[in-house]
Amino acid sequence: METEIAAKTASGSSMRVYLPIVAFLLVVLAGVLVLSMGMGATKIGARKVLTSLLMGHGSGGTDSVILIEIRLPRVLASVLVGAALSVAGLLFQGLFRNPMADPYVIGSSGGAALGAGIGLFLLPRFSFLGFGAAAAMAFVGSVATIALVYWLARTNGRVPVVTLLLAGFAVSTMLSYSTYFLVVLDDNFGLRTRVLASWLTGVIAVPRWSQVEVTATMIGFGLIFCYPLARRLNTLALGDDYARQVGVHVEKTHLAIILAGSLLTAAAVSLGGIISFVGLIVPHMARLVLGPDHVRLLPVTAITGAIFLVLADTLARTVLAPSEIPVGLITAFIGGPFFLYLLRRTRREYTL
Amino acid sequence: MTPFLELLNVSFSYERNSVLEDLNFTMEQGECAALIGPNGVGKTTLLRLAAGIVACSQGSVSLDGRKFDTLLRGEAARMVALVPQRFEVPFDFTVEQIVEQGRTPYLGLFSGLGRQDRIAVERALDLTAVTSLRKRVFNELSGGERQRVKIALGLAQEPRLLLLDEPTQNLDLGRQLELLDYIRVLNDEGVTILAAMHDLQLIPGAFSSVLLLEPDHEIRKGDPQDILQPEILERAFDCPPRRHPRLVAENRVPLEKTR
Repeated sequence: METEIAAKTASGSSMRVYLPIVAFLLVVLAGVLVLSMGMGATKIGARKVLTSLLMGHGSGGTDSVILIEIRLPRVLASVLVGAALSVAGLLFQGLFRNPMADPYVIGSSGGAALGAGIGLFLLPRFSFLGFGAAAAMAFVGSVATIALVYWLARTNGRVPVVTLLLAGFAVSTMLSYSTYFLVVLDDNFGLRTRVLASWLTGVIAVPRWSQVEVTATMIGFGLIFCYPLARRLNTLALGDDYARQVGVHVEKTHLAIILAGSLLTAAAVSLGGIISFVGLIVPHMARLVLGPDHVRLLPVTAITGAIFLVLADTLARTVLAPSEIPVGLITAFIGGPFFLYLLRRTRREYTL
Repeated sequence: MTPFLELLNVSFSYERNSVLEDLNFTMEQGECAALIGPNGVGKTTLLRLAAGIVACSQGSVSLDGRKFDTLLRGEAARMVALVPQRFEVPFDFTVEQIVEQGRTPYLGLFSGLGRQDRIAVERALDLTAVTSLRKRVFNELSGGERQRVKIALGLAQEPRLLLLDEPTQNLDLGRQLELLDYIRVLNDEGVTILAAMHDLQLIPGAFSSVLLLEPDHEIRKGDPQDILQPEILERAFDCPPRRHPRLVAENRVPLEKTR
């Protein structure tokens, strides 16, 4: 009887903290979106932003055209990219049982960019259900890269941090220069070359609505696919052997994580290019507040990632206005030192 | 009555190194057995085979009369749990979060812990006396506490057979005796126990039978007083050991005779 009472309280109490956190983050996200849409070359008040969003073009005036045609797709792109990269980071950290993993660090972003580049060059007209060759090849590139790094860095079911970082570093360097090579190959410096070049630094330009739709679909599928994996990530955290003895098919689950993470990375990269360290910072912040339970981390990581990237992109387009800086630069400035701090802190736990 | 755990002509090798060869033994429901043998003889491998973490290269392992390869992974996981020797947790999971993972074989991909699962978790925490540690971070616990949490994790699976790999390792004498007490309590609750043990002195009184795995791939099973005999142990553990050449040259008195 006593244990039954304890059982009830154990499940109830922490949900009372968790749900308000999620609600609070959603409110923050909404606030950040309105604020971000108001900022730029033309300052637009929050009230005008809200009426334009609710009424569409009906409210009239240049302001609402700017808001709906230029700023809305861009902040939506930031939301998508931020959520996708952060959740991909969370998945890869679980896969490698290592808080230093992130789509940029382990080269999956680089693989996606190269894949998208090749798709753009070889099959510019290919399209399937609205998905261009770039998005499809980005997915293939990301899967191939993680599979390679996974194979390189794992020894006896463990991934030492040094091996992971070195393998990731070497692979992403090769991939980045291969993508750069594609840029050089294209002698008439056309649109696709500019797109490719911007992918290497990470820029969220004003996307076409069709792009937003395609990536939103990919990311939606990715996130749905993640949900059952979150519980498995908790089990996998206790080690491959442990997961096996409680009946988890470890290799299949790893493959599913790689596929889901790649889908998210590919979507993010085909929209914004290689944006570094987002997948590192955001899950870490979420973990500080919520602890390591992946089931709870998943939604919070997605929302926080969206907030983080909307803020970063707002900075990118306002800090040196009227000119813009790539958002990848902002995340690198914040994420680089953060990465080093994490490395320093986890050094003892992950010795050779 | 069919034995609960049965190994029939089991061989196992890692790549080309043969670890176990043509091994046969059985365990009845309710037994409390210690598994002993010299370093590297394959005690951990034997436990991993019995837990279904690895499959044997030849022969068969059966649980409750059913061969492992006819059991689904989840089914086996509801019958047997292994408390591993090495257990590293990369993130700051709390004791409760870890022990809840033991319910994995009972849960679908989309379902959270139900009432039955919560009760099983509470019981596991209670039996190993770690209920008060439930909100603590596993990585910040002492060795003895961690060992008990690991056992709680195994118990949350509600196994009929609990395998323990060196459960008393790295514990001080008091914690070792305490741990053996907990194992006794579990056995009284009807859990069949097989524990790889390093310290032979802890075995009498704590275990009802002993399995000795010998370097020549033989296995002996019997009561503690029958197996823990000097002539048997000396042969199995290569003891007294061959002496270091330098000590022989210096004609130093062997350790035993200095006492």
